[in-house]
Amino acid sequence: MRPRTLVLAAIIASATLVAVSVALGGATYEPKPVADPCQPRPWRSPGNLDEVAQQLTLSTLDGAACELHVSRETVVLALGTPEGRSKFANDPRLSEALRAGLLRAVDDAERAGAIPGIVADGLRQAIESLPADQLVAAARNAGGLFDQLSGSLGPLGGLLP
Amino acid sequence: VLRASLSVAVGLVLADASIVVLALPEIYRDFDVSVSAVIWVLVAFNLVLAATAVPAAILARRIGPARVTAAGLLLFALGGLFCGLATSLTPLIAARCLQAVGGAAAVTGALELMPFAVGSERIAARTWATAGAIGAALGPAAGGLLTELVSWQSIFLVQVPAAVLVAIPLLPVVREESTARMRRAEIRRAGRPHLPANLALALVSGALAAALFLIVLLMIEGWRHSPIVAALAVSVMPIAALATGPLARTVSDPRARAAAGAILVAGGLAGLGLLPRALVVATFPSQILVGAGLTLVLSALTETALEGRAPQAIHGGWTIAARHAGVVAGLLLLTPIFTADLVTERSAAEQAGTAALLDADLPATFKIDLAQRLGDRLAAERGKVPVIGPAFDPLPSDPSERAHALALQATLQDQLDRAATHAFSNSFLIAAGFGLAALLPIVLARRRDVAL
Repeated sequence: MRPRTLVLAAIIASATLVAVSVALGGATYEPKPVADPCQPRPWRSPGNLDEVAQQLTLSTLDGAACELHVSRETVVLALGTPEGRSKFANDPRLSEALRAGLLRAVDDAERAGAIPGIVADGLRQAIESLPADQLVAAARNAGGLFDQLSGSLGPLGGLLP
Repeated sequence: VLRASLSVAVGLVLADASIVVLALPEIYRDFDVSVSAVIWVLVAFNLVLAATAVPAAILARRIGPARVTAAGLLLFALGGLFCGLATSLTPLIAARCLQAVGGAAAVTGALELMPFAVGSERIAARTWATAGAIGAALGPAAGGLLTELVSWQSIFLVQVPAAVLVAIPLLPVVREESTARMRRAEIRRAGRPHLPANLALALVSGALAAALFLIVLLMIEGWRHSPIVAALAVSVMPIAALATGPLARTVSDPRARAAAGAILVAGGLAGLGLLPRALVVATFPSQILVGAGLTLVLSALTETALEGRAPQAIHGGWTIAARHAGVVAGLLLLTPIFTADLVTERSAAEQAGTAALLDADLPATFKIDLAQRLGDRLAAERGKVPVIGPAFDPLPSDPSERAHALALQATLQDQLDRAATHAFSNSFLIAAGFGLAALLPIVLARRRDVAL
């Protein structure tokens, strides 16, 4: 084989491999980025109470995460550990984040047709008038739920070596 | 017999630079140490080999190459025995250093003896370089098979009789040296080493170290394959290396072979950095390119570094020093990069997995139970990437929920595979940069009409 032919063949083989890898998605084969919590998220058709409760919870998380400028998943993972919950509970933005989360849940529920407009308006007024300390107390009372989640969602963080 | 013995000795020692790659995950779990610590099982061997190659060559010139080769093989065997009996990381690393000192003596002495066995310095240089390239390529697969079928200790213990057997045909030559006492008269000042060829060897060896080390870690730790599957998978590389041998012999110009080899190594590594799926078979085209490139570039650069230079052993020592210094540089540079990328990807996988779990169309109670089971599996596997399938057992009885649960399982697995694969991308691409950088001394040497 002529020397130039060998070098040319090496260039063609290497360039082809790189091009095919990129064409098959090699440049973007990475974990799916999480959604922006400030953008609306479609609700699944609420068929039962469990689904409505889940959607309301997720919307509340979205609203709170948006207010805190973090992802919804970051909030969930933080709530999954005692340290994370303590940090979250002591965050001075907590009451406003909770309020934003609850309002977001009402907005999403109304948009999805899960609650009528008149009920949504009433709920919004109630949430906006709720004192900050009562919101924080309500969140702390929800600690039982997070105790159950503790060690469950958190360990997802260790799935890689 | 002497030719075969010397070739096997060179292959055996240079295979040792990479043979433990597939055993590293077992070793770090056995000794309960980190990846950054266990990497020194590889680094220490290559570092000591690089540091002692030239002094060993000088010694071979002074007291006789057969003596140095035979003594080196026995020291290598003794080091292997201590490695196999090591009960913690520090003695293992110390024994690896002993192996490397013996290995350096055996390899450089073998080069000095090879012309007597094959009849010409040119053929000797080619035989020596090819034996080293084949050894380096076969090392990981052999180590993986032994780890899976026996234990990681067996990798070292099988080398003990092998090294002793290889040393036996050297004994008549050792006796001849003892009576001749003529070596001292032949000592003369060695010429300057071939800088472009040795620099290119260092760069391309750094890239190859990454190829061998990272691909094995990706398969075993990232994709959760057993060492035997990984060993079979990475055997594509030495098969390609062996198959390229006859092609390499048809091209007489070592510059063209070196350039083509460096391009193929870089292309193969870039392919590994851009894997589109977490599938073993997806690595095969890249491995074929790296294996073919390895044969072309290592033998061409080694021949060039040795051609017309005397004494051969000392210049061979420089090539060994350059190759293994390159391996050390590659490992030390890329290990912190990929360990940092693992942390980043762990966070990305955590977020993506949590999102998939939250958005799954499943009852809240099932999700919470599932998260708990995933956590339990992770704890049971001591931080290793878990096989998540059993965490989904039992599946919901409702057909619709069952379908959603299976879809969630596939999504979680996909996110894990993506994160594990992507964590190695930057390191492979940087290693590809090493391969491309090796072209620079090749091209510069050509422009300056240096014999490369």
